[in-house]
Amino acid sequence: MKFETVIGLEVHVEMATKSKIFCSCSAEFGGEQNDHVCPACCGMPGMLPIVNKNVVNLGMTAGMMLNCHINRTTTFDKKSYYYPDLPAAYQTTQWFAPVAVNGTVEIETAKGKKAIRIKQIHMEEDAGKLVHDDWTDTTLVDFNRTSVPLIEIVSQPDLSSAEEVVAYLERLRSLLRFARVSDCRMEQGSMRCDVNLSVRPEGTTTLGVRTEMKNMNSLSAIVRAIEYETARHIDAIENGTEELVQETRRWDDIKGKSFAMRSKETAGDYRYFPDPNVMPIVIDDAWYDHIKATLPEFPEVKKARYTGELGLSDYDAGILTDSRALCDCFEAALAVCGSAKEAANWLISDCMNVLNRRQMTADQLTVNGAALGELIRLVTDGKVGRGNAKKILEAMFDADIAPAKYAEENGFIVSNDTGLIEKVIKEAIAADPKAVADFKGGKEKALMALFGKCMKQLKGNCDPQVLRTLLIDEINKA
Amino acid sequence: MKKIMLDQMILTTCCPTNAGSKMLDGYVSLFDATVKEKLTEAGYEIAGKTAVGEFAIDLAGETCFGGDATAAAAKALENDTVAALIAFDVNGAPRRTAAQNGLVFVKPTYGIVSRFGTVPVACSGECVGVMARTAADCREALSAIVGKDERDGTMHADEVCKAAVADTKAVKKVALLKMGADTTEIEAAKAKMSANGIEICEIDAGVIASANAAWNMLMCAELCNNVSRYDGIKYGYRTKNYKSLDELYTNSRTEAFGPLLKTAILYGSDVLSSKNYMAKYDKAMRVRRVIAEAFAKLFAEFDAVLLPTVSKSAYTAEDSAFAENKYTAPASVTGLPAVVADGVQLMGPAFSDGTLLGLAEILAKEGK
Amino acid sequence: MEKDTLLLLEKVNQLRLTDEERDDVLAFFENADKDLQALNAIDTEQVERMVHVLPIATVVREDVAKKLFTRDDLQKGAPETMDGYWQVPRVVE
Repeated sequence: MKFETVIGLEVHVEMATKSKIFCSCSAEFGGEQNDHVCPACCGMPGMLPIVNKNVVNLGMTAGMMLNCHINRTTTFDKKSYYYPDLPAAYQTTQWFAPVAVNGTVEIETAKGKKAIRIKQIHMEEDAGKLVHDDWTDTTLVDFNRTSVPLIEIVSQPDLSSAEEVVAYLERLRSLLRFARVSDCRMEQGSMRCDVNLSVRPEGTTTLGVRTEMKNMNSLSAIVRAIEYETARHIDAIENGTEELVQETRRWDDIKGKSFAMRSKETAGDYRYFPDPNVMPIVIDDAWYDHIKATLPEFPEVKKARYTGELGLSDYDAGILTDSRALCDCFEAALAVCGSAKEAANWLISDCMNVLNRRQMTADQLTVNGAALGELIRLVTDGKVGRGNAKKILEAMFDADIAPAKYAEENGFIVSNDTGLIEKVIKEAIAADPKAVADFKGGKEKALMALFGKCMKQLKGNCDPQVLRTLLIDEINKA
Repeated sequence: MKKIMLDQMILTTCCPTNAGSKMLDGYVSLFDATVKEKLTEAGYEIAGKTAVGEFAIDLAGETCFGGDATAAAAKALENDTVAALIAFDVNGAPRRTAAQNGLVFVKPTYGIVSRFGTVPVACSGECVGVMARTAADCREALSAIVGKDERDGTMHADEVCKAAVADTKAVKKVALLKMGADTTEIEAAKAKMSANGIEICEIDAGVIASANAAWNMLMCAELCNNVSRYDGIKYGYRTKNYKSLDELYTNSRTEAFGPLLKTAILYGSDVLSSKNYMAKYDKAMRVRRVIAEAFAKLFAEFDAVLLPTVSKSAYTAEDSAFAENKYTAPASVTGLPAVVADGVQLMGPAFSDGTLLGLAEILAKEGK
Repeated sequence: MEKDTLLLLEKVNQLRLTDEERDDVLAFFENADKDLQALNAIDTEQVERMVHVLPIATVVREDVAKKLFTRDDLQKGAPETMDGYWQVPRVVE
């Protein structure tokens, strides 16, 4: 018998906010254990939840990016269960009126395009972290992550293979990073995925027994988990190796197996009810329109514009549109310098070099795009040498400086004083007669050595073309 | 400097707040309640804290950890250097205490006094109120604590909060709600009002008589959720008798909580279970609106409502807060203001707090 | 209410009653059923549920991080801590 796999995903994404969802503690990743914590995040009585506006902004943004309907009145509800990582023994989430519903995400695989339906997107608070200590055989609790805002994106069971799941997750990641909802870093847990999976004989419509798998920390782990679980289900149905039950399972990537989870949420009744301390969030037209107006172009729309209208190569446009920060910087630089090719080159080679050296990702680029455009113009206008321009760029990573002013203050302006250039050339020739002889003897490389020495002497402030012409003239005279 | 006391539901950094429970014995908050800050700003000296029943849901303090605290608030006010007492009204306990001890208590309109820094029990209806010997003393202390607080998201605009206490309107027509407890206090109040030219009409309680059934569900459900945070892990009582995490949870809670609280937790949990949610919790929320609308209809015709506060002058072990709150639940479930004076209860539309205190003054003037 | 249902409620709420307490709670539940009947006598078919008694929209705050409390203070009353963590018996996943 042939089987087909039916998969629905619940994707949790930590939102890129400065503070937590209901209190003002820092929402930054990491930190010393229990350092981003207040009485509310360790379950003490008396503090009341006040909603972080940015959470609603990002929730709406995510909904709009995934073509959802936005609920103009959205509410928070409480979900109760006991677990040490949940300090108040309830999680505030959205059960009755989530921020966004009924969306679609289009994916593309080798089999072609497919629309995956989104059931809903809801906003909620994250739980803390547990660390198991083998020495004392105890569990240690860290509430730094408690109440960090999340969105949970619930898909319909429209996915049918690991390949589609990967395409879907990559698409979500691209859209959400582009809209600055989240940095979506699976390795840091800011994007997590639960897989609901069942199998059924091909051509049938009744869903099989569904299991939910948690704890996959990478795309490759998700692929392995889906393949393992699909095989386990088929084996159980065909060979009766075990009886399938609806349950939550934990993926162990080292063992390459899933295991039924024993402890958490045994009763399975979360006793949801509306949070009396959080009034409904009413999204009026002005708020809705503001968020709508700030949505970015979809990455593929941008890419098409970059390769078409702006004439960039597919490769260059691909690199730029992988990161919203690169796109924003590129577009701002282009507006000032007027050359898409130059702006793209500066970003893809020069800026990326600095980022790599500083071990930063493209999304962490903070260079002011307009300033970059100004710098490019200084170079194309021949006012600043390329070498010095790179030094200025480096400085632009450290502070928001004005390139022209900085160039002037640091002596990086190209000199048009041919008298000075000729003097430097004469000195260089006098100091290295061998190089002159070599060049005259046909060794092109010898010219580069002399050129380099002169340029160094001139502190880079010379149009290379001018220097080259004058240098050859002088050698020929010598 | 005027002295004032707080009950054990109001969190303070200066001294422990136990909410009447062994679970929080010795618990010291890391922050002060907004009401405490406001009182200090207004020049009051905090003279101490008075005991409450466990999480303030009982009749009048009898379930307090460490001993019966019935009328603890009243005893505090026997000391006439104390001007007033701030008490948390979850299930009417301070109203009953005031009624049985000849004191005045105001449970303000929901959302005009900040709940920041109070021990949460039934957040949709609980209020910080003021108890004092006279309506004038109540008004003075209430004026000091009303006002919008950025840290409480369930509040009205600041000017609305303040006007609710400052404004006093003339009361011409009062409805007497027939609730099956025609006490002598009600008769006396009727006589005094009539003597002051106030017209009184007897009205059948109708749906309002079901307020406690609805409130018991809502209150217990919210309570169940709110006290689930007390688990012996982060602070508070931890059992000595545990090996596993489950034993730590269960034994800590079982040992620290009293029987009334346990009953309320179990009832609330049942009400919220997926099996019962629609039939019980959702139903109670709809009945809540029906009751609110019934009051709105009454207040279109009447300036205030007169009703009993208690069924008797003292309780025995047979009495249940879940039945006796029949008189206090109407104001708890709707968030409407209620003033207890001369044993009776006066209710009015939202923001009529000042008007009700004015009416209470009339009752006091003509009496005794 | 059946006793089994009560036992499940106890488990869900991390409580363990004595048999005597169970009898009291079962009696309470029986009484509460009468309450439910009173509510059921009220027609709420066309009535919207009332979660909040005040008809205002939520207040939102700006996304600004503040540090107002220290870990040492927060753990002052903790029954057991280790290296700045709260400590519990081992959790089995």
